[in-house]
Amino acid sequence: MKRKVVITGMGCVSGLGIGVGETWRRAIEGEGAIRPIDRSGVQGQAAWIAPEDVSAAAADLELRRLGRLDPLSLYALVAAAEAVEAAGLGDHPSLTERTAILLGCGSPGNATLDAAFERLYAKGLGKLHPQTIPSSMISAPASHLAMLFGVHGPTMVISSACASSANALGEALHMIRGGRVEVAIAGGTEACVSYGSWVAWHALGVVAPDTCRPFSRDRQGLALGEGAAILVLESEEHAVARGAAILGELAGYGASSDAADMTAPDQDGIEAAIRAAHRDAGIAPDQPRLISTHGTGTKLNDAVEAAAVRAVHGAGLEGSTVIATKSAHGHLIGGSGAVEFVIGMKALAEGLAPSVLNYLGPDPECGDLPLALAPQAIEHDTLVSNSFAFGGLNAVLIGRKQT
Amino acid sequence: MAMTAEDVLSIIAAESGVDRAALKPEATLVDLDISSIDVASVVFELEDRFGVAIEPENIAPDFTIADFVDHIVSLAKK
Repeated sequence: MKRKVVITGMGCVSGLGIGVGETWRRAIEGEGAIRPIDRSGVQGQAAWIAPEDVSAAAADLELRRLGRLDPLSLYALVAAAEAVEAAGLGDHPSLTERTAILLGCGSPGNATLDAAFERLYAKGLGKLHPQTIPSSMISAPASHLAMLFGVHGPTMVISSACASSANALGEALHMIRGGRVEVAIAGGTEACVSYGSWVAWHALGVVAPDTCRPFSRDRQGLALGEGAAILVLESEEHAVARGAAILGELAGYGASSDAADMTAPDQDGIEAAIRAAHRDAGIAPDQPRLISTHGTGTKLNDAVEAAAVRAVHGAGLEGSTVIATKSAHGHLIGGSGAVEFVIGMKALAEGLAPSVLNYLGPDPECGDLPLALAPQAIEHDTLVSNSFAFGGLNAVLIGRKQT
Repeated sequence: MAMTAEDVLSIIAAESGVDRAALKPEATLVDLDISSIDVASVVFELEDRFGVAIEPENIAPDFTIADFVDHIVSLAKK
């Protein structure tokens, strides 16, 4: 019998706002965060976070011992503090030895690296700030969370591009199921709206000049976002024993690798991950679900994902509800899977699906999907949350509503 | 660029995260929990902003804030 893993806290920071409450309010009211940006060389459309909003949210945290913080860490700290507080886990003895931290990040601290490279190559200065490495390294946010919460258990960052935080949540689920820990602080963070990363993403030709229009005709690509989402996961016994409020269950996880192409998605690989997640949760794919798609708004992803979803879910698609919330919070790369899982779990709990924004009309290449084109009441008890990455790395999570 | 004691103190506060008000002249770096990486960061900013050459190993953990400031300001005058 598999140990049940439940969610007892959630935290979120994105262009939609600080906190799960504001994120959900804007998602369900259709107030998308993709808007013009003008930040140190970065110009265009993105779902960005105002630095002063994050600083204000972090003001009450004990951050002095953590050293210089790249936004990558700051986003994670603010989201994790919300999740740990919501879970009522602040001073719990399990935090010390029986807790893991698993975060997903697609890239390291871009702002810190950009500042260093600007000194070296633009200004010709041969010296860098001594904390350039500790504040920019991709594992820094995991270390920072461990220091803030006094976690001495297994702590690491998983990097699988756009699937990173879904992989982190899934691996955390299995660590708890396997009895290695009782609690996991898991999710992801990304701070990619920085000049170097911004130019590189545009060079790839996948960023839309206008906005993110998942599964829509005339979609032109993704919109970058930034931020973090972190959950507190626990074995059910641990949560019940300490009287924690249970928000839902992380019931399944499937991961796969296309082993095919560095940028193009592969339908077989995607299907394999979706099927594996259903097997892991012990449920059949041909039943109506809330399906939170990867839905980046790129030509290729949406067409291939739509075909995979139809192939796997089959008759179950009738009565299912398909959402694509990158149209609201943009693509947080490594942080996306966790943000989408949080919004998906809120949707199950509230019985409401947020609408796919910026939709212009059907695209024959995507075929029929039961898209939520307006906020709609739902009665689903299960969430399927898809994340697919460049390099062909796929991770799918199954969430279950608390009843 | 001329450097004042206040310049040094504000950089110590910014780089170490210790409140400026807590930087009493008689407090030692150890008392204030200012680590060697904090000192390295302070030295980097001072060198960067004022073009002064500082050897971080000459700044001992038992230095008081007054020692630290005097040491830097005297180097800047050389």
